[in-house]
Amino acid sequence: MKGFEFFEPTTLAEASQLFAQEHAQLLAGGTDLVIGMKALTETPQSVISLQKIPGLDGITTEGDSISIGAMTKVREVELSSDIQNHHTALAEGASEIGSVQIRNLATIGGNIAHASPAADTVAGLLVADAQVDIASADGERSVAIDELFTGPGQTVLAPGEIITRFRLPSPASGSHYIKHKIREVMDLAFIGVAAAVNLDNGTITDARIGLAAVAPTPIRATEAENLLRGNELTAELLQQAGEAAAAVASPISDLRCSAEHRKEMVDVLTRRTLQEAVARA
Amino acid sequence: MSEYTVVGQKVARVDAVEKVTGAAQYGADVHPPGMLYGKIVRSKHAHANIRSIDTSEAEKLPGVRAIVTQDDVPSGRRVFATDKVLYLGEPLAAVAATDPDVAEEAAELVKIEYEVLPVVQDVMEAIQPSAPRLHGDATKDGPNRRGISTQIRRLSRDKENDHSDEISRLEAALEEYPDEVYYNISAESHSEAGDVEKGFAESDIVVEDTYVIPRVHQTYMEPHVSVASADSSGKITVWASTQGPFAIRSGIAGTLGIPLTQINVIGTTMGGGFGGRFGVIITHIPAVLLSQKTGRPVRVQMTREEEFIDGRPAPGCVIKIKTGATNEGHILAREALAFWDSGSVSGASIGSTIRVRGVYKIPNLKVDAYGVHTNKSGTAAYRAPGAPQAIFAGESQLDEIAERIGMDPVKFRLMNMREEGDLVPAGAEEPKVGYKETLEAVADAAGWWDREAEENQGWGVAVGDWTNGCGPGGVYVSVHEDGSVRIFHGSMDITGTDTMISQIIAEILTVPYGNVTIRRGDTDSAPYSTGSGGSVVTFTMGNTAKLAAEDAHQRILELASERLNMNVDNLELKEGAVHVVSADPPKSISLGELGAYSLSTTGGPIVGKGSFARQPSTPALAAQIAKVEVDPGTGRTRVLKLIASQDVGYAINPMAVEGQIEGGTVQGYAWAMMEEMQYGENGNVNPGFVDYRVPTSADLPTVESVIVEVPAPNGPYGAKGVGEPPITPTLATMANAVKDAIGVRVTELPIKPEKVVQALKSNGH
Repeated sequence: MKGFEFFEPTTLAEASQLFAQEHAQLLAGGTDLVIGMKALTETPQSVISLQKIPGLDGITTEGDSISIGAMTKVREVELSSDIQNHHTALAEGASEIGSVQIRNLATIGGNIAHASPAADTVAGLLVADAQVDIASADGERSVAIDELFTGPGQTVLAPGEIITRFRLPSPASGSHYIKHKIREVMDLAFIGVAAAVNLDNGTITDARIGLAAVAPTPIRATEAENLLRGNELTAELLQQAGEAAAAVASPISDLRCSAEHRKEMVDVLTRRTLQEAVARA
Repeated sequence: MSEYTVVGQKVARVDAVEKVTGAAQYGADVHPPGMLYGKIVRSKHAHANIRSIDTSEAEKLPGVRAIVTQDDVPSGRRVFATDKVLYLGEPLAAVAATDPDVAEEAAELVKIEYEVLPVVQDVMEAIQPSAPRLHGDATKDGPNRRGISTQIRRLSRDKENDHSDEISRLEAALEEYPDEVYYNISAESHSEAGDVEKGFAESDIVVEDTYVIPRVHQTYMEPHVSVASADSSGKITVWASTQGPFAIRSGIAGTLGIPLTQINVIGTTMGGGFGGRFGVIITHIPAVLLSQKTGRPVRVQMTREEEFIDGRPAPGCVIKIKTGATNEGHILAREALAFWDSGSVSGASIGSTIRVRGVYKIPNLKVDAYGVHTNKSGTAAYRAPGAPQAIFAGESQLDEIAERIGMDPVKFRLMNMREEGDLVPAGAEEPKVGYKETLEAVADAAGWWDREAEENQGWGVAVGDWTNGCGPGGVYVSVHEDGSVRIFHGSMDITGTDTMISQIIAEILTVPYGNVTIRRGDTDSAPYSTGSGGSVVTFTMGNTAKLAAEDAHQRILELASERLNMNVDNLELKEGAVHVVSADPPKSISLGELGAYSLSTTGGPIVGKGSFARQPSTPALAAQIAKVEVDPGTGRTRVLKLIASQDVGYAINPMAVEGQIEGGTVQGYAWAMMEEMQYGENGNVNPGFVDYRVPTSADLPTVESVIVEVPAPNGPYGAKGVGEPPITPTLATMANAVKDAIGVRVTELPIKPEKVVQALKSNGH
């Protein structure tokens, strides 16, 4: 690890100013950053801890909407009964990250800000239609989760901007996340698929499908969603939705598996997550 | 009931408390005052000529104390590359600094000028004439050319007759095998029994397949680490995490030209070895050189990434195998041609290819094996070196034949299995073995005979054989004046072997297990001991311990005879005291009293000595059955049941034996389903546990162990080596179960989801 300066600001404004400097990195749970620093893939000159800033963690429910502070531990997201009940796909995604020990350190904000296309909470946030609150010394703004990412490790966040909160609007009635992997636990997603649906008398009134690790950024399968809206879920429709989701995937081949396999799994897992989401709705 | 009171019992390990409390001292815990941190400078290319190595910038970095290169190696043995590197991560120099980060930075500052060369990493490509050469242009003949060349040589030697026509004919025949001129061959091994061509001609069914097994790492928990300290007199002390300190002592002596008595090697508690921690490896010599140069202790410790790029893992291989059998299920012939990936140096346990013969009566056998150079690090032993690979090919193909004949895979194996007196193909007669008992035991325990499988579920069976090695060892045992017993020896504890030694000595001296303590000496103090590997320790050190305890036992009876004024024949040692046989009233003297008495005798304290080197070993079988469920959509496989039986001869500590069976089986499972060192254009691409997957406890159900005991005539209490056999059949067990579940065979390991999906598609899914 290279030497660095360590800051523990107590206000967002202070943190934002420090973070706006060159070669600065934010420290949330540290489960990505510290590994990167040890491997010298991250060599920040200043590390700014967010841990002393009040108000950045915790899950609050107001009516139908839920708000998750960026510094909330992934383990808390996983175990929150509100999230388990209303945003099941997100709780399931959180439960897939690393080990319990990792999840007790890692934060949902870190998982998202790291902008890995394979992040386990991202598909669940996509199908929850999450809004991402961002603060900086210049003020606050909010972007939709599907507009946050611009490439692997890249987001629309400007220098000094810090994710403070995820706001989840009224929930879908059923959702589900499946991660394709080799090992039962402690594996990275070969791909991840989440689906969320609202039903009215068996008819799908709204459907959202989120895909991870199949494109340079996490994406929504909007074509497939459009096919589903206003229809009942038949075997034929399921197949069409799976194919439509696979069609928007543009995965890479890497040492984990081929692009072709990833595309095929988008098809298979879209059908499975949809079926389960409808069953839960 | 057992006639024994301590052996055969599930006693707690002697090191249980220090292990669970964290008190055990591993290699990385050693920190002598003034210690420096060493770092190896490694090649950034998988194949390149070295134009220059410039250490001047690195030397200027504050905190750097020394840099060594091959120029510092007096014997000239290759420790560091000089003019050419053959794999990514090959050592070029080593740096010692006051801080590990400084050492790492200095290693980066060593300027290496490379002339990059083409790389070859696949064995089947490496043997081609078009492949880059690692060690020159020499070629070897493939099996057919080799046969013909042998005939030509034989005829040419006969000067009394004219064979020129025949020789010309044979020379023309050579031309029919242009693909059998192999390049980059590091070694070869050939065995033959009977006439395979005849055997195949007489067979009703002949099956031919190619199996591909990846290179895997031993993944011991503790990366390689050595601490070396050279004092002003030139005496060198090395703390090493090793399976064999004595081999390190001789390795350092040979490489650096230092007398044995000037080197003391202290074995630290070992964080796993599995064959990867034998002899002088990677970190030892650089640590010694750096300490000699600086006069300070130096630790060289590898990171996990370094383990993957410059460890000595198990070789991968490609095995082409062909088997012929009759419709009734008799195996008539088997032929195998194997290419083992030995990396940049020779090695790679190619001789283990013979294990394709399994434990079956195969009258005609031909095995040809080649080690092939590739741009990878060299290989080393891994739990039954070479056997899992060869047995995977042999046992997979056996199931293919059983299926074609329409025979149950267990019955097919039982029908062909060897028994006492049967000839081992290309070998000697079998001694008394427990092959059939072991397979029957696992089949019964698994419920094989009335097994059921739902859709996408399957059952697989396979067996693997292994014979433990043996080697020299020495043990001293002392009985103290309070009746306690102390053992002293020089063998590294692996898998609980110190516990086993303690049990044997407690048994013979009839004292409670808790009254016995054991100490391992360093190479300066302890008698020579062979390395702890090759399943040798129970066999070797068990026999040695028995001899030492029996020697002490004899002295105890002599002392009692003196003290009680009774003939030795009327005395008996039991329950920690010497008793006069049939005395009324009873008369006895305790071990403590005898220990105290001994101190004032002419003969002196009670010290038993045991020394042992070799006795013939007896083969052991491991038989396993798995039940799996395959998800045809994603290709993921879930293990529902995994049952492992093993002939252990005699279980001196059944708990330790079960641990060995479970551990070996899980490692075999991992090799079958997920472990694989992957290589890209410039070397290893998965040097860490993110993309080199080892299983967690969530991946497997509890492995059910079934202990079978067919005693080995020369083993202590009949024990056979137990460490290696359990990994040998699991690769095939898993592959056979997946085949049974999906109806199509995956011939290339690991059986990852993507390969299952592809196999299903090829089968019309």
